[in-house]
Amino acid sequence: MDALLHRLEVLLPADEFTLLAVILLMPLLGAFVNGVFGRRLGDQAVSLMGLASIAISFAGSVVAFALLAFAANAAGSGESGHAAAATTFVWRGWEWLTLSARAGYSVPVEVAFSIDPLSAAMALVVTGVGLLIHLYSTKYMEGDPGYYRFFSYLNLFIFSMLVLVLGKNLVMVFIGWEGVGLCSYLLIGFWFEDGANAAAGKKAFITNRVGDFGLIVAMAMLVYYVGSLDFGTIAANRSLLLQDLSYWPPWNRLPLLDWMQTQSDWSVLSTVHGWVTTPWHASVATIVALALFLGCVGKSAQIPLYVWLPDAMAGPTPVSALIHAATMVTAGVYLVCRMAPVFALSPFAMFVVAFVGVSTAVFAASIALVQNDIKKVLAYSTISQLGFMFLGVGVGAFAAGFFHVVTHAFFKACLFLGAGSVIHAMHARIHATDAAQDLRNLGGLRRFMPHTHWTFLASVLAIAGFPLTAGFFSKDEILYRAWTSHLAVPVPDGKIPGTTVTMTGWPAWGPSVLFWLGVAAAVLTAFYMGRLYLGIFWGEFRGWRIVRRFRPRAAGHHDGASGAPGAPLEGPMPRESPLAMTVPLMVLGALALVGGFLNPHQLAVLIPGFHFAPVDDFLAPVFATAQSFGEVAIITHTEAGSVLAALAVGISVVAALAGLGIAYFIYAMRGGTPARELAERVPWLHRILLNRYWIDEVYQEVPIGTVDTLASAAVWVDRWLVDGVIAGISSGVVRVAGTVLRLFQTGRVQVYATAMVIGVAGVGWFFALPHAAARAFGDDDTGRYSLTAAPGLGYGYRWDADGDGAWDSDGFGQVRDVRFTLERERSRTVRLEVENAFGLRSMRRFEFTRPKVSRARPAAGRNTVIEIDEAGGARTVTLPDGRKIELEAPSPAEEGAR
Amino acid sequence: MTPLGSALVGLWPYVAAFLVGWFVPRRQGWAERLGVATSALLGVVLIVGLWPVAPAAGVGDDKPGEWPHLLNLLVFLPIVGALGVLFLPRQAPKVLRAVTLAILAGDFVVSLWLLGVPMTTGWHFQYIATWIPAFGIRYHVAVDGISLWLVLLTTLTTPIAAYVSFGSIRRRTKELCFAILLLQGAMLGAFVALDLFLFYVFWELLLVPMFIIIGVWGGVERIKASYKFFLYTMAGSVLMLAAILYLVWVHTDLVGYPTFDYLALSRLSLPRVAAALCFYAFALAFMVKVPMFPLHTWLPDAHVEAPTGGSIILAAVLLKLGTYGYLRFCMGMFGGAAWQSGATLAGIAIGLGILYGALVAWKQADIKRLVAYSSVAHMGFAMLGLFAGTRAGVEGSVLTMVNHGISTGALFLLVGVIYDRRHTREVREFGGLAKVMPVYATIFVIMTLSSIGVPGTNGFVGELMVITGTYVSQSLGGFAKVQAVLAALGVILAAVYMLSVVERMFFGPLTNRANRRLPDLSPREVIALAPLVVLVFVIGLFPNIFIARMRPSVNALLEDYEQSWKAHSEMPDHGQARMRAQPEGPRRKGYPEPPPPRAEPPGAEAGREVARLPTEEDVP
Repeated sequence: MDALLHRLEVLLPADEFTLLAVILLMPLLGAFVNGVFGRRLGDQAVSLMGLASIAISFAGSVVAFALLAFAANAAGSGESGHAAAATTFVWRGWEWLTLSARAGYSVPVEVAFSIDPLSAAMALVVTGVGLLIHLYSTKYMEGDPGYYRFFSYLNLFIFSMLVLVLGKNLVMVFIGWEGVGLCSYLLIGFWFEDGANAAAGKKAFITNRVGDFGLIVAMAMLVYYVGSLDFGTIAANRSLLLQDLSYWPPWNRLPLLDWMQTQSDWSVLSTVHGWVTTPWHASVATIVALALFLGCVGKSAQIPLYVWLPDAMAGPTPVSALIHAATMVTAGVYLVCRMAPVFALSPFAMFVVAFVGVSTAVFAASIALVQNDIKKVLAYSTISQLGFMFLGVGVGAFAAGFFHVVTHAFFKACLFLGAGSVIHAMHARIHATDAAQDLRNLGGLRRFMPHTHWTFLASVLAIAGFPLTAGFFSKDEILYRAWTSHLAVPVPDGKIPGTTVTMTGWPAWGPSVLFWLGVAAAVLTAFYMGRLYLGIFWGEFRGWRIVRRFRPRAAGHHDGASGAPGAPLEGPMPRESPLAMTVPLMVLGALALVGGFLNPHQLAVLIPGFHFAPVDDFLAPVFATAQSFGEVAIITHTEAGSVLAALAVGISVVAALAGLGIAYFIYAMRGGTPARELAERVPWLHRILLNRYWIDEVYQEVPIGTVDTLASAAVWVDRWLVDGVIAGISSGVVRVAGTVLRLFQTGRVQVYATAMVIGVAGVGWFFALPHAAARAFGDDDTGRYSLTAAPGLGYGYRWDADGDGAWDSDGFGQVRDVRFTLERERSRTVRLEVENAFGLRSMRRFEFTRPKVSRARPAAGRNTVIEIDEAGGARTVTLPDGRKIELEAPSPAEEGAR
Repeated sequence: MTPLGSALVGLWPYVAAFLVGWFVPRRQGWAERLGVATSALLGVVLIVGLWPVAPAAGVGDDKPGEWPHLLNLLVFLPIVGALGVLFLPRQAPKVLRAVTLAILAGDFVVSLWLLGVPMTTGWHFQYIATWIPAFGIRYHVAVDGISLWLVLLTTLTTPIAAYVSFGSIRRRTKELCFAILLLQGAMLGAFVALDLFLFYVFWELLLVPMFIIIGVWGGVERIKASYKFFLYTMAGSVLMLAAILYLVWVHTDLVGYPTFDYLALSRLSLPRVAAALCFYAFALAFMVKVPMFPLHTWLPDAHVEAPTGGSIILAAVLLKLGTYGYLRFCMGMFGGAAWQSGATLAGIAIGLGILYGALVAWKQADIKRLVAYSSVAHMGFAMLGLFAGTRAGVEGSVLTMVNHGISTGALFLLVGVIYDRRHTREVREFGGLAKVMPVYATIFVIMTLSSIGVPGTNGFVGELMVITGTYVSQSLGGFAKVQAVLAALGVILAAVYMLSVVERMFFGPLTNRANRRLPDLSPREVIALAPLVVLVFVIGLFPNIFIARMRPSVNALLEDYEQSWKAHSEMPDHGQARMRAQPEGPRRKGYPEPPPPRAEPPGAEAGREVARLPTEEDVP
């Protein structure tokens, strides 16, 4: 075995790990072939193509995983237990694009993938669970006209999910992130002929887009502050994210503020003033982490963006199992783990993550208590469990949070597939989607579907946290860490990050609030899962009246639940699903039972000194960077094995047993009567939960309604203001001008003749009068000036050129030019009189003043100056063609004037 | 292995692409198969051929293989062709169409030659000829890494638009051929002209055929729409003409000889007020074309009334003239004023382009109007990248121009497809179309994804580059970050309006009886769409092969932009203009030299004596 791995290691060097390309490209190939040629290939070939591509991917992931473990072992033994940096295998495709950072630095973004322990584990889950669900779907989707389309989308989903998981930089992750969102959109609306399905798909996509907005902002910020989107570089340079970001609130310039400041006797006002005019402070890490978390909230369906996930159950059930339970929705948790070095820098952001997570856990669990649609129950349960995962990563227990991703993938996929198996069986008689999965139509199925029943039970126990199941180990670890973790981060004192003394951390009440809310959610989870299980598999079958040797009528296959109104529906015995569907169930059910022993910390309570945590050890190098900043540990927790740990385990066990016990008491022993009584006694509570707190309705009215109103307003503005003003006003001006000018175009000759006569008379009058006009020339540098009088019909001119007030000659002559020179700062008034042929005269004065200093305009003429260099007394003019001309030195008078 | 064998092995990507493309169409018919296979093949050729090798060391001045008449051929082939079409008989529409398509296809092939040379800094395929020496007007054409892509976009989309038009327009074929060819020549001319007079001629020339296309083959309100289109654009360009004349006058005044050349006029540093006035005169002309709020209302009208082919050209190419014009002329000639107005204009581009355009688009009942308003939003992104004035911003903006040409062009084509079948574009008339027209629905969804910027398609690359480029922008000052975040909000809204229309058109039950028997895409439509679909993914997956070719030009432009801003900030408000230092190296090639001194005509001496200023001796 070792020899084989060694040979593989040589074949696949760490920096050119081409196996990743194979893992990635196989599902893409499957998607392409199935999508384009699938209809011609036939269902057999399509399922073969789909399964084979995922199987190869899975095998590749296993090999990569083994190589990683092998390399980690080798490194670990070499350095004798010292925590080595995470082993990473990289495959670089090509340079995708280049962004630009501050000061023109380039930020190349590569199409590059890497696999480290975290992504290897995730890739195993994705391809492994994906393979099982593909196998399941070959039977579940049998006979569907869109069979090829389904497998194409499913393969495309696996591809996108692998891009997300294996991406080496944030942009690659984003590509996968949107890719899985797209596949989710296509698969939710897979049966698009029902308008509701298509609407649910759109809702999912748009809600996710709100989150993606956060990711885009985070990417822009990281480019700006870190200058890289590569995970390794971000982690290495994360101290750059500790700088302080202050932001002036937009209202700090309101005119009223100045007045408020002067009212010193009213302390309220000055307090408000101080509050309003203080800039908001946050570290860049906080903002980046929160922006990233917005993306996670969207993808992983947390408050407030969880609303799409329950609707997403409109897709085929294998899709719900794979995408909306096991893999895609956990991408948010994965991203937080991936960006752990950044998140860990901001205790505030971490608290937000943990608090949002735990609130969602309680909130969604409370809704799940009363839902009747089994897939809706599972959907809210998924939201709730995702909340647990965020609680885990939010308190800094990244490995614990991620371990819950893995165990949750096992038991929740199993639950969904089990539900699918039930729905598949119900379809023998009930074809309406909603009715087939309504808890009120189910019951007693454990007799008819033993395989489904036992695997479902295993998973229910696991999710409820029954001791020693997978869910118990992962969930308890999260709760225990929530109680005992401390987060604190250095605050930059000056401008240089790292030179720090003070630490800022969580409030003291934080951990206990998180813990007890988590325990409450655990109790609720155990209860509603018990209710679901008992409702489906115990009691009497309520779907239809079972008739032996039932034979459907000719047209009866599609008569649905409402065949004949009033008449009870009859049908055959519900049958267990085929092997291709139950084998995945059994595998996943088994994993749900025993998967927890991959990380059984809790056994330390029973066996002192026990340490066996392969998952934690495997993942530890990945999170090593996040745990400390420089030499300062920023995430600490009380060690396992203490009294606290034992207490946490005890509370967790009690919670699980209590929830399950209450459910058993109410639904198995009393047939659900106490629950009905409670609903009747507190109807408002029941109604709130049943209607999911009316959150969907509120969203419909408030954010969507606002945007809708804005859009209507924009349309109105566009139609009436923009078009009205720009087009209306300009056309109005033209119209008015046209109307006025049209008045002159009467078409009557007399009017035109009159206008002509008036015009000619005006011109004649102008010529009959003399006009003493002249053009002046001059050069201030030399002091030479001249005047040239304008010519005219029969004009005679006389001048007063010397400015002495007397005409130079008495009579009028034909001299049209006068020339003279002026000293500096002298003025002269030249007069010109003109007499025309009629003896009419006209006179005009011209003032000349030679300025003190000539304008800086060299002798070369006005057309040539571009630069004057006056350094060192010599004045040079550079002409446009490069020639340089020396100017004569300034006269002493000019020099003095300076 | 024999050399032939190894050559064949080396060709496997092309063969594979061709074969896969050959088998993609489901129905029989060699034309469709050939069209799709060729598109796939071209996609691979593009990727392999343009794969950026190590950046060419040094910048050669005269690159071998640059045939100086290439651009002349490119511009005048369609124009001469348009004149030639006039001599063909109108009774033979098939001949007319074939000749037109052949000319356009030839033009496309010629334009591919442009890709053959590395786009180093400076001007390529430059050709200069004296035209009107008295006013310093020259025929000066050249491409750089920026105009290259817009030229290629033009030569690619016009044949597609023509091919589609010939499928649906059966009236006045001869005039249509003439108009399309003339339009093609004028658009290409405007993209390659480096003489402002020449640019203005082409800029105005292309209004005429577009006016005719909308006015003759348009919808019910075509006359109103074509007038609106013409008047809006004309009003803007008249201001630009005034500014051009002013610039030439200032240049003549300063340097002594007139020139309309871009290289010389971009060296002018005007006093601040004059610079701002000239900048806005140019910018208004371009913003009308882009279009930017509040000058955008001609666009929906023109698009709705224009025939499909006209809409494609309008969206894919004509709008790009506005953004290209802003990039080349406003940023190139008035860098300072552009820098100064950047933040304000970016605010308009975001608030009233990206967001407002998206909101208005959401509420449209007519699909074509919706796509038209989505253009307003997309072009907002393109303009934002330019206003940001960072390398990623400008590159992203140029890429967005190309992307918008491809995806919006294709969307208009797709809307035309359904219009040809149902003669309506009201969204509420449709629903559940995916069942009867699966191929159509698939391509529509692909183009929608490209339009809303899903990664892997071309749209995402441009948006990401513009947004990150805006965030780091210096010229936007303190607003850069807020503006980048607001622009990112547009990403949500794009999904809202495009997915809503997809949902209402294609999904849900097939309720309208009239849609029951709609035929899926015809071979002609598939052939027209195939290259666009291939390009969506080629650009989406390998954007760097496009960006690498524009980088040297963008870098040089931005360097000059910053210098221009520095020079501008030292200028007084009023006063004397100055000439900035001339560009160096290859970017100076083609700079208009001063005219040689003219030989003195006999008797000139006597004439000059009169005008001479008086000398000392004249004064007593």
